[in-house]
Amino acid sequence: MGRVFHVPAGSVRSAHRRAAGLPVAAAADAATQQTQQTSRPRAGFVAGYLAPHPPHLVYAENPPQNEPRSTGGWEVLRWGYEELRRRLRRHAPDVLVVHAPHWITMVGHHVNCVPRPRGVSVEPIFPHLFRYHYDFATDVGLAEAIVDEASAAGLVTSALREEGVRVDYATIGALHLANPAWDIPVVSLSANNNPYYYSEASLAEMEVLGAATARAVARTGRRAVLLASNSLSHLHWDTEPELPEDMSAERPFSHQQYAGDMALLQTIREGPTARLKTAIPEHIAATQAETKSGSLTWLLAAMGWPDIAGDVLAYGTVIATGNAVVEWVAP
Amino acid sequence: MTPVAGALVPGMPQLRAAEPAVSWKELGAAVEEVGERFRARGVETVLLMSTQWFTVLGHQVQCDARVAGSRTDENWYGYEYGRLRYDLTVDGELAHGWADAIDAAGLQARRTRYPGFPIDTGTITAAALLDQAGAGRWAMVSCNLYADPSAMAEVAGAGVRAADGLGRKVGVVVVSGLSSGLLQRWIAPAEDRIADPAHDRWNRKVLDLVRAGDRDGVLALREEYARAADVDSQFRAFAFLAGSGVVDGPGEVLAYGPVWGTGAAVVWWEPGRQ
Repeated sequence: MGRVFHVPAGSVRSAHRRAAGLPVAAAADAATQQTQQTSRPRAGFVAGYLAPHPPHLVYAENPPQNEPRSTGGWEVLRWGYEELRRRLRRHAPDVLVVHAPHWITMVGHHVNCVPRPRGVSVEPIFPHLFRYHYDFATDVGLAEAIVDEASAAGLVTSALREEGVRVDYATIGALHLANPAWDIPVVSLSANNNPYYYSEASLAEMEVLGAATARAVARTGRRAVLLASNSLSHLHWDTEPELPEDMSAERPFSHQQYAGDMALLQTIREGPTARLKTAIPEHIAATQAETKSGSLTWLLAAMGWPDIAGDVLAYGTVIATGNAVVEWVAP
Repeated sequence: MTPVAGALVPGMPQLRAAEPAVSWKELGAAVEEVGERFRARGVETVLLMSTQWFTVLGHQVQCDARVAGSRTDENWYGYEYGRLRYDLTVDGELAHGWADAIDAAGLQARRTRYPGFPIDTGTITAAALLDQAGAGRWAMVSCNLYADPSAMAEVAGAGVRAADGLGRKVGVVVVSGLSSGLLQRWIAPAEDRIADPAHDRWNRKVLDLVRAGDRDGVLALREEYARAADVDSQFRAFAFLAGSGVVDGPGEVLAYGPVWGTGAAVVWWEPGRQ
C-alpha cells in the first residue's frame, strides 16, 4: 500500500449531528458550535471501554490501512470488538477519548492537539504485523480543554502541536478496533511512564487526570466515549511462532496469570467500580498488568467510579498476555 | 579479535541542544571525542545497542542498508533538539552476520527491514555526535526489555564473532543512561541536577569501579545499583559491553553529569592499551 488510507467523514448515524459535507476535522469544530446552539440529552460520558490494543488484532483483521496480511486469528477477542462497535454506534458519541500506554512521555501528561494526524505508523516491536496508514481528526477544542483542566489541577502537561510525531500503535489499535471507519473525532492522551527505566505511571495522578478529563468534557458539552487502551496480565513469550497467527501456540502465560485476570474480571462483572480502586493495584502486583500505565484508572476516575458493573464482551490471550474487552455504560 | 574499543554514551537528545546546560555540553563533547578516537583507530563499523530501541520479541537487528528520515520525539517535540534528522549507513554484511550469529547462539534474531521503521532518539543522538560527517557504518541491535544480562552478553558476543568472521575492525557503543529520576517538570537547562543525591552517590560508586577496571565488581553490583537508582534498563548495557570483551580493563570516564535529572556518563574503554 503506497498511499495514506483515508475514509471520508460521516457515518449515517452521526450525520444528523454534523453539517452536511463537512470533513471530519471540521465536524469536530462544528460539534463545539452545535453544542452551544442546541440542547442535546446526555452530554458527558456515555460509556467507557477497556479496549486492548495488541497489533495482532489489527493484523488478524486485514484492514486496508494495514500493510501486512494475515490468515486471521484471535477471533474471540475480535468478535468482542465487533460487539463493541455495534454498541458504540448506539451510543452515538461526538468524540472518542483514548489513553494509551505506548505514547510514552517521560515528562508529564501530553494531549494530541494536532488537528489531523496522518502518516504511517511502523511499530518498532511488531513491524511485521503493524504498518498502519492513519489519517484522523482530533477534537482540538476538547483536547485543549483537557490540557487546561489538567494543568489547572497541578499536573505537568503539554499540548502536542507538532505534526511529525508518529502516532503509536496502542492509540491506533484501540481506535481502529473500536471504530475502523474513523468517522468520530478523537482526543488522544499519553502515558507518563518510562519502560526503559521500568517506571510506572502514578495511579494517583491518573485519578487527577481522569477528573480533569471529566471537567473538560462537561465544559465543552461533548458526548464522549472513553477508551482505556490496556491489556491485562502482561507476562508473555519472548519468541514467536513462524506463523504469528498460529493459534496452537496461543495460551495464557501461566495459570497464575490467568487466575489473576479472572479475579479482576469477576470484580468488574460484579461491580461496583469502586472495588477496582484496590483490585487494580492488586492485579498489577500479581500479573504485571499493563494497567500499570494508568489507562483504566484514568477511565474509571473520569467516569466518577460509577456504582455499576462492567460487561465483559470478550477475553483472550495474545502472545500470552491477557486481554479483555469490557464496557461500562454511564448510569 | 577483540573490538578496538568500546564506549558507554547517553541517548538523551539534550546533548545536542543549541543552548545546553553545562553538563549537556560536556557530555556531548565527550561523545564527539569517542567518535574522533574511533576514527583515529581505524574503526570500520560500530556495533551499537541503544536501550531506547526496546523490544520484547527476540533481538532485532537493523538490516536495512540505509535508514534515513526525520524523527520528532514524542516527549521532547517542544524543543529544537527533539526534532531530529538522520541518515545512517548500515553495514549490511555485518548486520546479517550478526543476526545469523544470534540464531546460532540459540537466541532468536529478528531481521528488521521495513521502510519507515522508526529509529529511536538515543541512536540518532549518539550517531550524530559520534559521526558528525555521516561517513560511518553501523550495525544495530535492539534491547530486549526482558533479556537477562547473560543474553545481552551473548548478543554482544555474537556481534563480535560476526565481525571477526568478516575481518571487520569494530568499535562497540552502548547508548544508555545511568540513574533515572527524570525531573517531572519543564526546566531551563541551568536548573538541571541529578534528581536524587542517593542516585548520584550510586552512579559515582559504579563509575569508580569502572575506572578501577573492576568488571566483575560492576556486574556483581549491577542488580543492587539498578534497584537503588532505577538505572536505565537495569544497567544491562554493561553486561552487553562485557559480552563484547571491551570492559576487561579500566574505563576512562570522559564526562559525567545530569540530563533532566537522570545520571549520564561517557566512558571509554580501549582493550589494547590496558
